Amino acid sequence: MNLMISLSKYLPYIFEGSLWSLGLVLGGLGIGFVIGVMFSLIQVYGSSPLRRLISLYVWFFRGTPLIVQLFLFHWSIFPALGIKSTPLITSITVLGLRSGAYQSQIFRGAIGSIEEKQMLAAKAIGMNDWDAISSIVLPQALRIALPQISNEYSIILKDSAICFILGVMELMTRAKYTAIATGIALIPYLMAGLIYIGLTYIGTKLFDLLYLKMRIPGSVEG
Amino acid sequence: MSGETVLRVKDLYKRYGDRIVLKGVSFEIRKAEVKAIMGPSGTGKTTLLKCIDMLVKPDSGRIWLEDLELTDPRIDIGEARKKIGFVFQEFNLFHHLTAIKNVMIGLTKVKKLPKDEARTIAERALLKVHIERELWDKYPAQLSGGQKQRVAIARALAMEPMIMLYDEPTSALDPQLTGEVLEVIKELAEDGMTSLIVTHEVGFASEIADEIMIMMDGKIIERGDPRKVIHNPRREETRRFFSKILKIGDESR
Amino acid sequence: MSFWEEFLSKLSFGTLITLQLLTVTIPLSVILGILIGILRVYGGRIGKTLANLYVYIFRGFPLLVTLMIMFFGLADIGIRLTPYWAAALAIIICSSAYQSEYVKMSILSIDEGQSLAAKSLGMKRSTEIFYIILPQALRVALPGIGNEIIYMILYSSLAYIVGVNEIFSAAISVNSIWFKPTEVFLVTALIYLAMTTMASYGLKKLEHRLWIPGFETRRKS
Ligand SMILES: Nc1ncnc2c1ncn2[C@@H]1O[C@H](COP(=O)(O)OP(=O)(O)OP(=O)(O)O)[C@@H](O)[C@H]1O
Ligand SMILES: [Mg+2]
Repeated sequence: MNLMISLSKYLPYIFEGSLWSLGLVLGGLGIGFVIGVMFSLIQVYGSSPLRRLISLYVWFFRGTPLIVQLFLFHWSIFPALGIKSTPLITSITVLGLRSGAYQSQIFRGAIGSIEEKQMLAAKAIGMNDWDAISSIVLPQALRIALPQISNEYSIILKDSAICFILGVMELMTRAKYTAIATGIALIPYLMAGLIYIGLTYIGTKLFDLLYLKMRIPGSVEG
Repeated sequence: MSGETVLRVKDLYKRYGDRIVLKGVSFEIRKAEVKAIMGPSGTGKTTLLKCIDMLVKPDSGRIWLEDLELTDPRIDIGEARKKIGFVFQEFNLFHHLTAIKNVMIGLTKVKKLPKDEARTIAERALLKVHIERELWDKYPAQLSGGQKQRVAIARALAMEPMIMLYDEPTSALDPQLTGEVLEVIKELAEDGMTSLIVTHEVGFASEIADEIMIMMDGKIIERGDPRKVIHNPRREETRRFFSKILKIGDESR
Repeated sequence: MSFWEEFLSKLSFGTLITLQLLTVTIPLSVILGILIGILRVYGGRIGKTLANLYVYIFRGFPLLVTLMIMFFGLADIGIRLTPYWAAALAIIICSSAYQSEYVKMSILSIDEGQSLAAKSLGMKRSTEIFYIILPQALRVALPGIGNEIIYMILYSSLAYIVGVNEIFSAAISVNSIWFKPTEVFLVTALIYLAMTTMASYGLKKLEHRLWIPGFETRRKS
């Protein structure tokens, strides 16, 4: 009984971590989006040395664990660049760089699936390359990629838990402190887990709504 | 035509949702007899064959394979299906198995025969449908439609069924490939294979069948000697059906 | 001992532990994933519900949450797992939930005719599933399962958090003595890169070997 009371005191404390977790996710997803769009365009239309550079980037970020990337950036790369980072900034940056690697592949696939025919059509009506890409190809590619971006959201959300290793005050860190303070681990972690499920559910529903809004009848689905 | 009854279907009913697809179908087939079922699309021919193999459960009515009642819920339906060969319109060869493995798998996994014995039987069945040795190790995707359907016939045949059910065996084939499949079915029938064939090939049906049954809207509306049913039917619907498909046949020629 | 001597010796030990962890978790999670996938399609009302619940929970939880529950949480109710088994179980549970998704989808993608043909030969349901449906479905699921295996290599690094002496924990321990984060974490990253790259190569080879003529066209139709 006592236990329940002391645990319930921590409930708002853990819940507040949701905001931090969402901050990490939105930051990471946003940075990843910008990188993903840029890099996918370069991978489809860019010169071959640039393309190879980006393949290398993608290979690195998809082939190493997030936890290693966090430490590498926090303790080595940022200091070497003279940047004084905080755990939060490192976490958002690394989540973003990493998601950029994944998102670039998502967009690359999406662009590839519409590029050929639509480009020809756009050129046929006299558009130049850049106009065709920015006003014809890209908007459609984004629409096609949206379900995968939604999936990427739920992946980053779960990945953001790993940022607790740097002490960011997100859900996991708070669950851990609660476990230490109350001497009970099972319930705080279960609670954190359920909150993650809730956040995934809400986020996915929002993406579904967005998708319905953006959908154009008859357009090719990814 | 004498001989013992192999298959007896009595008063079969089947509905999907509120649509009644079979409305009291009854007939019999005796040993070595060949019967053809013809009729317009969507009248329940496939459903009838599936009911006979119990791939679809009829709502009412009874089916006997010799003395075994297939509609009796207590029987082992796997045992019964072993004795009925089913040839599908879309072949349904197992995509991940070579031609000969397609024929062997029923023998090894259902009849539990040793591998080498299964292989011997499979080889014999394949030769019987004129699939030569160089095709035995090909995968379905590497075979022509006609070859696929003949392998499918061999697969059913190898189980030594008491009756073969063919569901429009040549409908999915290019016209120039139908001949080789029909030829095989005919040879098997002439060897005494009891057969029930759903087909749109009028010439073939009249040549091979002892009796043609015309199915319309879930019922057999006319049956009898092929020549008579085709050229001199009792019912107006039958006449219209044949004039329609014969006309299409003329155009495609 | 010099920095490199100590680093490389600890790192090779850590690599062995990671590889050992993966040899246990990869096969077990694939097998469990297949079983759960089967249950989700053929399991009947109760089996389906339970399997779906399992997947919903363990795909919804971050692996880290499952890991903490395995190691710290279960201890609250008297189940004490070693760090190694807590990590192994968490990885197996989490990954099998994801794998089952690919397995389920691929089973559902096999056309109805395959099942009808199997039944018409008199096959029992189990024979049909194991000899007809699964050999085809697993080929379809292989790329997805392969991706999951790559993820398992990456996420095995979380075992460090409950105290398994794998690669990442070797890196941390060396770095805390020598404080050479650039060398330590770069080399660590390279080891993971080597493992994931080799694994993708091996998986491509496997896909190639299991390939059957016509399979990709069949998937499209
Ligand atoms: N599983 C099912 N669920 C619902 N309706 C079905 C199902 N299978 C068949 N039907 C319907 O039952 C009717 C009869 O179908 P069936 O396939 O038996 O016709 P058919 O005579 O074989 O036609 P065809 O010549 O086109 O092959 C059709 O209207 C069909 O749409
Ligand atoms: Mg039909």
